Amino acid sequence: MAEKSGRTISAQAEQSWKKSLLSWEGMLVFLFFAVNLLCMIISPSYKLTNVLREMPKYLTEVFLLLPMAYILILGEIDLSVGATVCLSATTACLAGNAGIPFPVVILIGILVGTACGLFNGIAVSLFTELPSMIVTLATMIIFRGIAEIALGSGGSVSLKHNEGFRALAGKIGPIPYIFFAVLLAAIIFIFILSRTSFGRKLYAIGSNRTTSFYSGIHVQKIRLVVYSVTGMMAGISAMFLVSVLYGANTTTGTGFELDAIAMAVFGGISTAGGKGKLTGAMISAFIIICLRIGLGQINMNPQVILVILGTLLILAVMIPELLKNRKRKQA
Amino acid sequence: MEKKLLKKITGSREASLFLVLVILCMVIQIFSPSFLTAKSILDMLKNNAVIMIMALGMLCVLLVGGIDISITSTLALSGMTVGMLLKYNIIHNTLLLFLIAILVGAICGAIIGFVVARGKVLPIIATMGFMYIYRGLAYLIARSQWASAENLGGFKNFALEKELGLGILNNVIVIVLVCYIIFFAVMKWTRIGRRIYAVGSNPEAAAVSGINTKRIKLLVYTLMGMLAGLCGALAVAVYSSAQPNMLYGKEMDVIAACVIGGVSMSGGRGTVAGALLGSLILAVIAKALPLVGIDSIVQNTVKGCIILAVIIFNVVAQRMMQKENLKGREM
Amino acid sequence: MSEYVLELKGVTKIFPGVKALDQVHFSLKKGEVHALMGENGAGKSTFIKVITGVHRADEGEIFLDGNRAEFKGPKDAQAAGIAAVYQHPTSYPDLTVTENIFMGHEIVNNRMIQWKRMTQEADKLLMQLNADFKAADEMGTLSVAQQQMVEIAKALSTQARIIILDEPTAALTKNESEDLYRIVDQLKASGVSIIFISHRFEDMYRLADRVTVFRDSRYIGTYESGGITNGELIKAMVGREIKDLYPKPEVKTGPEVLKVENMSRTGYFKDISFTLHQGEILGLTGLVGAGRTEVAESICGITKPDSGNVYIEGKHISIKHPADAMREGLVLLPEDRQRAGLILTWGLGRNLTLPIMGKYAKCGITNEKKECETAKQLLEEVDTKAVSIFDPANSLSGGNQQKVVVAKALSQEMKVVIMDEPTKGVDVGAKAEIYQIMGDLAKKGYGILLISSEMPEILGMSDRILVMCNGRLSGELDRGEATQEVILQHAMERSSQ
Repeated sequence: MAEKSGRTISAQAEQSWKKSLLSWEGMLVFLFFAVNLLCMIISPSYKLTNVLREMPKYLTEVFLLLPMAYILILGEIDLSVGATVCLSATTACLAGNAGIPFPVVILIGILVGTACGLFNGIAVSLFTELPSMIVTLATMIIFRGIAEIALGSGGSVSLKHNEGFRALAGKIGPIPYIFFAVLLAAIIFIFILSRTSFGRKLYAIGSNRTTSFYSGIHVQKIRLVVYSVTGMMAGISAMFLVSVLYGANTTTGTGFELDAIAMAVFGGISTAGGKGKLTGAMISAFIIICLRIGLGQINMNPQVILVILGTLLILAVMIPELLKNRKRKQA
Repeated sequence: MEKKLLKKITGSREASLFLVLVILCMVIQIFSPSFLTAKSILDMLKNNAVIMIMALGMLCVLLVGGIDISITSTLALSGMTVGMLLKYNIIHNTLLLFLIAILVGAICGAIIGFVVARGKVLPIIATMGFMYIYRGLAYLIARSQWASAENLGGFKNFALEKELGLGILNNVIVIVLVCYIIFFAVMKWTRIGRRIYAVGSNPEAAAVSGINTKRIKLLVYTLMGMLAGLCGALAVAVYSSAQPNMLYGKEMDVIAACVIGGVSMSGGRGTVAGALLGSLILAVIAKALPLVGIDSIVQNTVKGCIILAVIIFNVVAQRMMQKENLKGREM
Repeated sequence: MSEYVLELKGVTKIFPGVKALDQVHFSLKKGEVHALMGENGAGKSTFIKVITGVHRADEGEIFLDGNRAEFKGPKDAQAAGIAAVYQHPTSYPDLTVTENIFMGHEIVNNRMIQWKRMTQEADKLLMQLNADFKAADEMGTLSVAQQQMVEIAKALSTQARIIILDEPTAALTKNESEDLYRIVDQLKASGVSIIFISHRFEDMYRLADRVTVFRDSRYIGTYESGGITNGELIKAMVGREIKDLYPKPEVKTGPEVLKVENMSRTGYFKDISFTLHQGEILGLTGLVGAGRTEVAESICGITKPDSGNVYIEGKHISIKHPADAMREGLVLLPEDRQRAGLILTWGLGRNLTLPIMGKYAKCGITNEKKECETAKQLLEEVDTKAVSIFDPANSLSGGNQQKVVVAKALSQEMKVVIMDEPTKGVDVGAKAEIYQIMGDLAKKGYGILLISSEMPEILGMSDRILVMCNGRLSGELDRGEATQEVILQHAMERSSQ
């Protein structure tokens, strides 16, 4: 090339400890300790053993947080995860009561969840003009509706033989299995997101779908996979949920999508897509879980807890935006 | 001439909906001869009044490209306020109670509008958060109680009397009519109506041409809140009780009514007539299902499927129209 | 009383990192038609936005009828009687023509909109403009040319005294252009002053009384339209002779590398066939809307053609997705680099390696080190003005962004490079560097398809030139026999009609 300026471009990234500490994740870690301190103060029974005992119920929702983060990074939203959990749990309980052996029941539960996710994925990838919010709003109603039909007029089902599921709720030492399952899932999801080309493609699609497509990324295939995986994780979540509740009813899983989105958003994942890390989401998940356990222990009105969660969700989305605006005005 | 008329009918969304409604009514009449009597129709209108009125608010929200799933929580909050005021003998004046209910709704809606317009939070997320906040507040006001028919005193008679209707029409139906007339006039004949359509059809163009999009969005959500508040008081009168779980899950009915009525979820398209026809069709379908032997338990699934079918149909129809347009281009 | 209905003195507008307007002057007489010419990126669009109140000038003064004016927003400019008709209509697709024309200033009586009167008025305006559609039609169903007419009607409905036309003939056929000329004459006769931006000399000669030239955000001069030649205008716009700008190397072209056979896509283009050889630069030009970009996108798998065949080096290939095209060595530099070529919030390195992550990845795990090395090397090769590969893409100027897009292409295994408007919005300096790169690529033996609306560029760089008109190929010219006039003639009508 003629007449080059001979300019060199740096390939060194800037590292700074200060940046990490002041980052959103750093602040979340601080918040985690603060919340635990608060809980210990307001609730005398907030001890490690008690907390570990009550966690499994809430940990099931972390299975939903992981794929929901992927969907948010894609710039989309899935409102049907709670309903998928409900349908999957219902199917599993009914299958279990019908005498189907436990391993098959688990398989059925996970398959039902995956099928729901696949349905969403096919709908949004075939009809790309449809925003995912509207499609999943409709499927949310449909999936829960199917569960309602299956449950009949009673509206609920309880497990007759729960040996299999009780085994699922077992522990290694003081720590329930679900911890390890969540940890494993989190490690996989975090690794894929941050270190693989698949993960980077998710960020690309969320930042600029057009450029991603022009650059050879199979946008629709990836969307299909992500929605299907979301369904599958909802199925897994449902199985662990049944191992705690030993049954299912028409309100199972209500509010799970709010929780998953709240945890993700609080953890720094932007609803506009293309931004955010799962590590922050995991920390905020535990913040919210510990808060819920603590508040539950002092018998705080469950509705008040909902009010607090709703407020947290909105603040979590508003505050980064307001901070961005202030930075822009200063510039 | 005939072909042109046929094209005009199928071309206009409202006209096709009217046709569908007429056909549905005729079919039901065959199965249940007492359907098309004045009493039966007026009863149906009264029972669906709340959905019909809120569909007007949802129309405006959808027109600017937003969405509001917190409407039934606002309704519950204002309804409980009315119920508690009556129960504890604080206020008995019907008109004053209605005004208070509308005011509560207006405040709820305005807060949402502020968060969406100024806080730049995605409407689905904001209203998801407020859905829980307002419902939680409704429970808190109730303090684990609810207002039963005796507590309401003379208020519940509002739904039975015909004062406003000059002795001919039921009060509730009069309110529905008045709301529809007002909104029809505003959307068609005022500049504000035009601005609402503009903001939804092309937000950038609207902003550049000097329209204050933030103010319009704030207005629209406040209106929605006011209507939800009005319906709170109305629901208390119609159902003769005030409970915190009033109309739980019914926000989907309102959205379904709008979607069926041809209101676009991406904004800029939809009419008052469409909202009316959509909610009527929904009401009629709900009545028709049991007659065809479909249990009411299937209703939710049917609603979800209808929403999905309608939005997919919209996409397919638009794709076909685009193909036709392309064929028309001479090369 | 000033003889000028509008005057700008020393107006400057600065955006973060770039001076869009640098002390520009402008004057518009009453009832005058004044052309504004200049290359892409010369500052014309920003100039219009300052006049219409969308942007506020950082320095300088604006005078209306001799009085100092300050526009706090678009509404002030509207109230002052200034209206603009843009190339890309800012309209409401879901609303009717009537609603679009009168949006913001509807005809009211006691706060109630008078629909009947409004529709009548709208139809009257449309008749004035000789429109072939009705006021009750929906905006989204109209063609670009028709939408433009609605915009003009909108300007007329606001009783505008100063109307600005941005590239009014860009999307019009010859007949439609004649209609536009007639409308401009009408407006002039009724006392309206007009500023129009155009790249077409015939527009300028036919319509303008005077012409002003901007170059590199600066005011160069104002001339009587009768007293200046094409060559002098080009020199003012470009700053140097054409020959300097286009370092087209002499390359011996090799065997056929790309063959397109009878490609058609309903509504966009029909029966497109051509061949491209190694080392050849094939120019593809035509008016906006002729279908050039659509052809490129169908070849590269962005859209699916209805029929046709594509051969790479003689082998028939089936392309269903851009990844297929890239695998076969077909690389596209898209027309809209900000929307389709780059992820503006990402760093340069990540942008560059987006299509080739898989090349260095092991079992799907990305190889950061190798990617950074490759990015650094390629960005230096095209001489990008950046500090680090982590600089965000939106911090670069248009020309440098284009260089990153080129580097992105270089990172792939190429046989054919399709460049769609590669120098649009690029400053003159970077333009020359991009032409240099193009020439080097040809020397290396790649086949290059250059899509461009800039006549000098096409004439300067191409070995052969294809002209498209209304979706079909209307002419094929050799470098030697091509002139602006011949190309334009092919671009505006098909001789085999």
